[in-house]
Order: sequence, then structure tokens, then C-alpha cells
Amino acid sequence: MNRRIVAVVASATGLALTLTGCGSGSGKDAKSADEPYRVLVTGGLSAQGALADNSATSVLSAKAGAKVVNASGGILGHKVEVTVVDDASDPTTAVTKLREAINSGKKPDLFLDSGPSTVTAAVLPILKQSNILSMNIGPTADSSNPSAFPLNFDLAPSPTDYVKGFIPHLKEKGYKKVGIIHGSSSYGETFNTEVTKAFTGAGIKVVKSEEYDVAALDMTPQLQSVRAAGPDALIMDGYGAPVGYLLKSMKKLGWKIPIVANTSVSATGLISTPPPTGVLGTDQVKNLVMQVHKSTKHDSGDAAVNKAVAAMKSLGRIRSTLILANNYDALTLVAAAAEKTGSLGDPKALAKALEDKSVQAKAKTTMMNGYHFTATSHSPNSDAGAFLFVEPSEIKDGQFQ
Amino acid sequence: MTLIWGGLALGAVYALVAVCYNIVFISSKTFNFAQAQLIMVGAFVAYTGLVTWKLSVPLVMLLAVASVMALAAIEERLAVRPVKDPHNILVTTLGVSILLNGATQLVWGTQPLNVPFFGGNDVLELFGGQIYPVEIALVLVAVVLVWALTRLSRRFLVGLALLGMSEDREAAMLRGVNVRRLAFGAFAFSGAVAGLLGMFVGPKTFAVATLGASLALKGFVVLAIGGFGSMPGTLVGGLVVGLAEALAARYLGGEYANITVFVILITILLVRPAGLFVRVRERTV
Repeated sequence: MNRRIVAVVASATGLALTLTGCGSGSGKDAKSADEPYRVLVTGGLSAQGALADNSATSVLSAKAGAKVVNASGGILGHKVEVTVVDDASDPTTAVTKLREAINSGKKPDLFLDSGPSTVTAAVLPILKQSNILSMNIGPTADSSNPSAFPLNFDLAPSPTDYVKGFIPHLKEKGYKKVGIIHGSSSYGETFNTEVTKAFTGAGIKVVKSEEYDVAALDMTPQLQSVRAAGPDALIMDGYGAPVGYLLKSMKKLGWKIPIVANTSVSATGLISTPPPTGVLGTDQVKNLVMQVHKSTKHDSGDAAVNKAVAAMKSLGRIRSTLILANNYDALTLVAAAAEKTGSLGDPKALAKALEDKSVQAKAKTTMMNGYHFTATSHSPNSDAGAFLFVEPSEIKDGQFQ
Repeated sequence: MTLIWGGLALGAVYALVAVCYNIVFISSKTFNFAQAQLIMVGAFVAYTGLVTWKLSVPLVMLLAVASVMALAAIEERLAVRPVKDPHNILVTTLGVSILLNGATQLVWGTQPLNVPFFGGNDVLELFGGQIYPVEIALVLVAVVLVWALTRLSRRFLVGLALLGMSEDREAAMLRGVNVRRLAFGAFAFSGAVAGLLGMFVGPKTFAVATLGASLALKGFVVLAIGGFGSMPGTLVGGLVVGLAEALAARYLGGEYANITVFVILITILLVRPAGLFVRVRERTV
């Protein structure tokens, strides 16, 4: 009897040790050679308003990134397989679709989230629980905190990063007092807090900050209030129709002050479309400059961005600006991390590698000139040089001309 | 004065939405939750007619009126008439509103589209304030429409029949009123008005797939303040909401604009539960 028990225990231990050996990140790839690297991309393709166009661009960029990586042999020889899921930008739908994918028997290796932040907030706990590496372009307050979500990386710069880009521009123009007009969305409120904090620290006085309801149809009263404070320039946050209402109200008031707008404004089609459909080239945008990523301004000499644009175009129409195309860089980052770890099987090892500066440098990302992830922050931590301020112009293939 | 003009114009937009709600409410004692979306479709049709097809203004007006009227008629046949319990109509019309939001997005895209106003787009100076021509037009259209509909309901047989229906559907039937046909006609008419209003609302708000949602809530608040079924009430309600929103945003801050409107709404409903222009009547049970 005792001999039988010993034999069973010995067999079980042997089996366990064998399995542990197979599953360990010992440098060997846990995936069989013909097994693809599975990427699940979600986006609000059927969402309301401009969100749908942005999601489409985000998804397209992920597919283009996979196409380029596959063309160069995949990641450690594994073909990248992209599955696109329409979550309608609805957190409940996103959670359901993610659970379906996890339980399908083909668990995703990488999850790319096209935002908004409400979707990110809903899926992150499930991704953490399921040990899935993830990247997103809709950051939340704690999505870049490795203590909370060690396997998640924000690809979109944080409001703090964007704000860094404003200060050199304002100083160069000599604006000492500014007014702020921002939406009531969570992004608008965060933008206002960060901008106010950063400007005050940089010696730029915020004379008035006004909020508008994103569902409002007229912002004239708020602008009158800011005008009464006498700023040198107006800092503007807005997205979609509210941008149009703000510009209309400015014209009505006859207020011809310089407007320095954030990336949300630049993502609104109205300002890059000529009349009668849009306002490009009219008096309404004469004093407007907008913050964009460097890759969002066309540069015929930038071979990497032009290659990315060509890859995206070959898969479909680019429906919004490349500000939403950071998913293109996701697989380049994973490929560089896998090269360091020598394996795709251990998401924790990949995440650790992504914090490595040499991996980030080797990744040679395109949409952003660098992702500076660290052990304490999984945000891109972009510097001021990652951004430009451009005047409105027509958008061709996701880029201002 | 610019602030006052802005508030009046905004109030006029809300009042016009409330007028359309009222047309259906008076005829069938129910709400068409897709009404704001019908105005939104009117704005999109105006954009297509004026910008894409470059048609003349009268032709675009006809097109907007006819197409939105047809949509409203289809809605009545498919989402209202087959429903036995009037309470369920709220759900079916809400479904239509979601359908219209999605359909407009598929047809016209997700970005806001500029709808030119046939009366010009340059800012005017009026009594010391700045105002767009379309804002003056919105205020005038709201006043004229309320006046015309009030007159229709008091002086014409069809209006009296509608009022009779509203008071007591069965009694109206016994008096020979074709209740079903009249209800259908009122629904289609509300669509025609919504189509026409798209020509005026679009240049102020842009044609955008989120417009319906923005208009619906405040239109409902205006209706509650003025009183359900009262046409003059929509004008007063629009005036109150528009001015309160503008003044609160200017002097209290943008975050207080909606709060102020809802405080006023609650206060009015506490004093006059049926709204400013509708009396609560006791009923023998």
C-alpha cells in the first residue's frame, strides 16, 4: 500500500515538474512554432459621434502594425493574428467580448484597447486577472500605475505629457496671462487641472478657467466670462460639435485673441474641412493653433511614418488623424521586448522588458518618437519635443498638410 | 445684450422641440421620444440639399418637410399604432430615436457638418448686442409657430377635434371624429414641422449625430415648465430655460448652468405640478 502511494506521489511530482518546466519563462518560447501571436483589438466602431472614426483609425493602425511585423517574419517567428471586436465604446459590451475571447480556448496574448477611458477602466481588472499583456489609447487615472496594473501600458500620452508641450509654445509667443475654456468630460476636467498646475509652476498666470457642458449648444456666456479677465491667449479644450460652437461664439463676440488648442480640437473634422461643410480657411480659425503629435503633421522626409501611413491605407481609409494611431507601435514594442526575453510565453517577463530603456530604443517606434515606460510608470512620459503646434489645414491620410 | 440674445435663441431652439412634442401629446396623450431626432434628420437633409446637391432654399425646405414627414408617418405605423398600451409607446419611440441616431451616423458620418443659413452667416448688431441672423429667425419662428398652432386649435375644426380627442378620446369618437386618422395626421404633421425646423436649427447647432440627445432633454424640461399640452407654455418655458442657462453660465460658471435650470424646474413643479400654463383639475372617482 505504502509503495503504491509513494509511486503515485512520485509520478504526480514528476508530471508537475515536467509541466512547470514547460511553462516557465526559462528563455524558451512556450508557444509551438505554428501557433500565432493572438492580438485582440477592441474599438467603438459603431459608437456615436466622432468616436467611431477615431476607433476605426485606432483599429486600422493595429492591423497595419501587425501587417508590417508579419512582413518582417512576425515576432520570434510567430505570425501575428489580429482579431477586431466592435465594443461600441460601451464598457459592458467590451467586458462581454473580452470574456468571450478569454473563454473561447484561444486566449489573446495581447489586448489593444482603442478607448475611451471608460472601456479601459472596465477591462483592466479582467486583463490583470487573466494575466494578459495590454496596451491602450484611453488612459485612466491608474492605468499607467504598475502597482495596480503591472501588465498594462498606456500608449497615449497623459494629460501631464501634453501639457509639457504647451509651456515652450506659450513662452515663445510671450503669453503671460491665459484663460482656459474646457469641456465637462473627464478628459476636459483633467486637462484643466493639469494645465493650471503646470502653467502656474512655469510662471504663466491663469486668469480665468471656465467649464462648459459637452452637450451644450452655445458657449457664448462662458467665453464672455473668460474675456472679462483679459487674457493674452485662450487655451481651448473641445471635441466634435462643441469646437464649432466655441468658434462660432468667438466670432459672434468679435473676440480675436490667439487660441491655443489641445489635440482633441485637432481631431475634430470641422476645422480641417473647407466651407461650406467646415470652417477651414475662415475667420473663425484664423487665430487658432492646435497641438498635434509630430507624426500627425505630414513630413515627406519621415520614411517611417510614411511607411506606416501606406500600410494603413492599404487596409482601409484613415478616417481621423494619426493621433489615434498609436496602436501601430504596440507590436513593435512587443517584438523588441520578446527579442530581449527570447520568449512570448510570459507576459510578466515581456512587461518587465518593456520597462527597459534599451528595449524602448530598439523598438524604433513610429507614431511617437519614444515610449519611456519605467518600473514606476507605464505612461509614455513623452517630452515636449514629441508635440507640435500647427495651424488648421486639410487632413490627408490622417495628417495635417 | 449679446448674452440675452444668446439665451433667447437657445430658448427658442428648446421651445421648438417642445412644440413638436406637444403636437403629438395633444393628439394622443403620449410622447414621441424620437421627436428631437426627427429635427436632427431635418438638419441633415437641409445640409444634403443645400451643400451636397446645391438645391434652392424652397426646394430644400420641401425636401426636408416631405422626408421627415414620411419618416414620422412610418414611425407612427410601425412603432406607435401596433402598441396596445400607451405606456409602451415611450419604449418604442425611444427605440426609434436610437435607430435614427445610428442611421444618421451611417449615412452622414460622425463629424459635425455646417448647415448654411439662407439668411446669411454674418454677425449683426441688434440693440447693442451681437447676434447671428439664424438666431433672430429661430426666435421669430418659435413665436409664429406657437401663434399659428394656438389659432389652429381654437379657430379650425381640425384643431378643435384634436383638443376634443385630447380631452376625451371616446367622447370624440362618439361625436364622429376619426380618432386614428387624426392621430396619424398629427404625428405626420409633427414630422413635417420637425423637417422644416431642421432648416433653422441646423445652422445654429450643426448637423451632427449627437444633436438629438442634446435637444431631447431640454425640450422635455421646457415642456414640463410650460405645462404638457400648452403651446404658449413652450414659449415661456423656452424663455426661462434659455435665459437661466445663459445667465447662470455667465455669472455663476458653466458648471452651474444645468443645475440652475433644474432648480427652476423643481421649484415650478412644486408650486404648479402641472406646469405654468396647465391647471390641475379634480376628478370624481
